[in-house]
Amino acid sequence: MVDYLYDGSFEGFLTCIYYHYYEEKAAGIFTFDNYQPSILNTFVEIKTQGDKAAKVYDAIGQKISPYDLQRIYRVFLSTVINREMLLLNYIRLGFKQGSKIRLLHGNPYVSPVEKAEKKVTAEVHRILGLLRFSVLEGEVLYAVLEPDHDILEFLADHFTDRYKNEPFIIHDKRRGKALVAQGGEWYITDFTEKNLPHISQNEKEYRALWKKYFETIAIKERTNPKCQKNFMPVRYWKHLTEI
Amino acid sequence: MDSSLMDKLKILADSAKYDVSCSTSGVERKNVGRMGNASCAGICHSWSADGRCISLLKVLFTNKCVYDCQYCVNRRSVDVERASFEPAELAELTMEFYRRNYIEGLFLSSAVEVSPDYTAERILHCLSILRYEYGFAGYIHAKIIPGVSQELTHAIGMVADRLSVNIELPTEESLQRLAPQKKARAIFAPMKQITNTLIEQKSLKGPGTMFKGQNLNNPLNYLNPEGRELIQPEGANADIGDGSLYQMGSPAGNALIREARYKYKEKFAPAGQTTQMIIGAGTETDSQIVKTSESLYRSFKMKRVYFSAYIPVTDSPLLPSVFTAPPLIREHRLYQADWLLRFYGFTADEMFTKEEPNLDLDLDPKITWALRNINLFPIEINKASMEELLRIPGVGTVSALRIVRQRKVAAVKYDDLKKMGVVLKRAKFFLTCSGKYYGEKDLMPEYIKGKILEPCRIKSRLLPINDETQISMFSPGAFSLGAPQQSKSKRSLESNGGLLI
Ligand code: SF4
Repeated sequence: MVDYLYDGSFEGFLTCIYYHYYEEKAAGIFTFDNYQPSILNTFVEIKTQGDKAAKVYDAIGQKISPYDLQRIYRVFLSTVINREMLLLNYIRLGFKQGSKIRLLHGNPYVSPVEKAEKKVTAEVHRILGLLRFSVLEGEVLYAVLEPDHDILEFLADHFTDRYKNEPFIIHDKRRGKALVAQGGEWYITDFTEKNLPHISQNEKEYRALWKKYFETIAIKERTNPKCQKNFMPVRYWKHLTEI
Repeated sequence: MDSSLMDKLKILADSAKYDVSCSTSGVERKNVGRMGNASCAGICHSWSADGRCISLLKVLFTNKCVYDCQYCVNRRSVDVERASFEPAELAELTMEFYRRNYIEGLFLSSAVEVSPDYTAERILHCLSILRYEYGFAGYIHAKIIPGVSQELTHAIGMVADRLSVNIELPTEESLQRLAPQKKARAIFAPMKQITNTLIEQKSLKGPGTMFKGQNLNNPLNYLNPEGRELIQPEGANADIGDGSLYQMGSPAGNALIREARYKYKEKFAPAGQTTQMIIGAGTETDSQIVKTSESLYRSFKMKRVYFSAYIPVTDSPLLPSVFTAPPLIREHRLYQADWLLRFYGFTADEMFTKEEPNLDLDLDPKITWALRNINLFPIEINKASMEELLRIPGVGTVSALRIVRQRKVAAVKYDDLKKMGVVLKRAKFFLTCSGKYYGEKDLMPEYIKGKILEPCRIKSRLLPINDETQISMFSPGAFSLGAPQQSKSKRSLESNGGLLI
């Protein structure tokens, strides 16, 4: 048993899975920067190898299911602790059970993955609503977020469809990257807010109008801050215009 | 920007805030205009201080009203600030909010300025600017004011995703007393027109799973061709009037409003129709309210009937005093009952007995029903049909489906149930797992009720998120219900192939 260390990429992770099957069983899978060497396990640094990753990728799609491949990817992009090992266990079980693995809700290897996936999809869904765009000079739409999970690319389809003709930037400040899109095309790139244009003329006025609307629409006889925070966790408030 | 826009927004959002039917579900649309899409799952953009979700810009077009409904803050006889939007102004505001991702679209209601038609024309103008000039493909929910002409109703339906005509009060008697200018017939006429138009374009979908597997878009479902009548449940206001009821025009009818003109949306109200009732302003019982909703579902195939706890706004001898707390728990229970109608195969009749025409405020209606029918339990998880599973308190539609699916590959164990989303705290009293009972003691209604009530407040999982948020800190019993009204005529629900027409 050995700890595998990789570069944090999905391909790197899949390469570790390859080694788990073809070399030595993994005791743990960690990224280089997170690893605390212990006396119990030895470790091996794994270089990401496209061909080995692709082999595992295809095997998951064929022997488990394309749905599970997506699920694995979503969970990989989560910040759930020890996600690599949860996924390794899931994949191992998946190679035995095939596509029916997703029906085994009660299985101890399945349910944590299911839960982690839910966290990611729930955050994506939440952010679709909670993202606030500002109109910058030059009519560029710009939004900032600091999501728990690495969800930028899951926002792409929704917003490229919505803003078909308007350029926009969604900036993940926490991870220093951004989704940049125009005319239905998008890519993800490293990003800082340096050199960003100023907000447009009308922007302040619309923010004020939205704030006013937000205050007005609450029914004071029904005030229920607990409920509000429950649905809209305070950690997201920082980037909301209305609060 | 017009400096008065801020004031208008404040006045017209303030007077729209009591309207509860604010959800965006029911239409999925990729961007087919220049801007915007609509998501079936419903996206909430914010939650206001009262814990309700904000997904649409919800405003009145105007609060200048010629009517005098007793329960309303905007009725003619009160002195409040008045304002009206200009069509172009509201269209621009909606667009700019939408671009910034503040909202999914517009929820536009209105008081009656000058006349229903005058107001509807201005609303139509505003929505047309949004759809044509801006190419807006987001969500629009528009209110139809009773008394509006058929042509305008149709034209608004061609630019809106969802239409609603508010029934406001569940019985005709309350309507006469509290909203004398509103006539039941004027409310039902546009409802009927909407249903018929949806059938005509073959896009009528009933609520939830209520009409599962049935073809609703059958001409037999047209309302009032050849004098088919609604059967009126007792005390419920399901009369659709007589004589001059809406008749479907010939397909060659009015070319102007039938032509599918718009690129972004060629359908009439693709997200269907809804309505809303005020709870606790009149004296009707829960049984009357739920029966009226059921009847609205069965006849008009409404997507939703919304309930809004009456918040006292005026001192009127006809209404609960201004010190009455809004009946929020009651509203919550009604939503649960409504959920049972739409997704769990219950009928209104099953939920009430003659002795108890109101829902139990302490317990959710499914438990109340289960305790009354304790002889049907416990239900064996590994054998029960989907319908039976759905009758177990604590088992929802999602968990029932998971149980059925897992059973195909492996027997469901007791420990699995929790992971599947079953609320065991309640469910354990009503089920067995491979023959074993886990409910501590025997199946004794009183014992179970005590056990379930123990944790003091039950957080029901039956409700959809938006509705659940409406429950608040008012404790049960903090307000009183009006005296149950004695129903005059008693007619039973009759069904004709499952439909009440
Ligand atoms: S018609 Fe509408 S706005 Fe006018 S008084 Fe009645 S409820 Fe209020």
